[in-house]
Amino acid sequence: MGKKKKIVQEVTVMTEPLAVEESSVNDLRGCLLEIKEYDGVIGYILRNSTSAAIDLKDPTKVIDYAILSSSSLDASEVLSKDFNLGTVKSIIVDGKDVKMLSLTVSENRISVFMDKKANCEKIQKKLHSF
Amino acid sequence: MDNEVYSFALKNTLNEIQNICPDIKNSFMFKDDGEIIAGDENTPEKVVVRVIDSFDGILEKADAIGGIEGITLEGNKGRVNISCMNDLYLVTVTSRKADMNYINTVTHVLIPTILKLLEKIHPAPLKSNQPQPEIETETASDEELEEEEETPFKETLAEEPEEDPETETLLPELPVNQLIIENLGGLLVPSDTVRIDSDLLSQWEEISGSMKIEEVEVETFDGKTSRCKVKPIKDSKYEGKGIIRMPEKIQLNLEIEKGELIRVKPAVD
Repeated sequence: MGKKKKIVQEVTVMTEPLAVEESSVNDLRGCLLEIKEYDGVIGYILRNSTSAAIDLKDPTKVIDYAILSSSSLDASEVLSKDFNLGTVKSIIVDGKDVKMLSLTVSENRISVFMDKKANCEKIQKKLHSF
Repeated sequence: MDNEVYSFALKNTLNEIQNICPDIKNSFMFKDDGEIIAGDENTPEKVVVRVIDSFDGILEKADAIGGIEGITLEGNKGRVNISCMNDLYLVTVTSRKADMNYINTVTHVLIPTILKLLEKIHPAPLKSNQPQPEIETETASDEELEEEEETPFKETLAEEPEEDPETETLLPELPVNQLIIENLGGLLVPSDTVRIDSDLLSQWEEISGSMKIEEVEVETFDGKTSRCKVKPIKDSKYEGKGIIRMPEKIQLNLEIEKGELIRVKPAVD
């Protein structure tokens, strides 16, 4: 009996942070869905160690955008380390057609794709508020 | 060789930019194939290589967003800016408090200006060195009639063609001159012979210990070289202008044309 009780306690301890994490990811998703409605926003990629969410207007670009997103965030880590830039707040890749804003919120790696003229700062502020 | 000239000029430019913008901590330039063009004195090459490698994925997929115009990385201690200029990428690392408007104004004016200037001085810039084909030397008899009458050789004082001390490294003991290509054609014009200023030939002969210069080695800024026979320019209108008159066949083989610069040095065995 005593053993059973212990197991129940352990399970409870394990599930609590997961629930918090999940709710935070859900909040982030909600925020990204809201951002997707902003003028000029094409879509986003949200990724963490357990899940990924991709919402892009043009599904044919998914792979290219995913590589861009992941490469830019990886590059930002290298640059930050080599040049002692501290914590990376954001990396913006300005393309001739599309702009990509990438940042990390907690363990979540986010990239938002938008038209060149879209308001990047507004998006950045919203995501940093998490 | 041409890349060395570019690197030298750009490296100096980057250092000067850092002098006027002390907030720039590091700066370097690279091509989209990853080749380092120039870097400042503060940035170790291994760091530059690592940074360029880290951008591989972005540059490979750049087409998906219409090509890269710029990249900005913001950290809480500093910033990195990557700007695309004339197919080259300029990387600048700045402190957090740097005035980016000022830095961007300086870099976006100076670097393109230097690149344009270099483009004019060295018309074939930043191309990878290719294998250097040797030109077959044969005498053609089907050339057109010579464009102008040949006048007797005159011993006139002529302006010396400009010499670039930076490029005088091909053969340290013999001078290397940069000359502008001018067409040479005509019925009796041998296709393996170029003509240069008689004063320049005399100078070379003096330097080489009164040895008669009968051949020259020409080198394009792409690295292509050819050995050709040489004779003095006979037409006075081409004298003293830093010109090398060259048959079309040699131009074709070296993939160069009238108006371009070429390096010329005496070929002495």
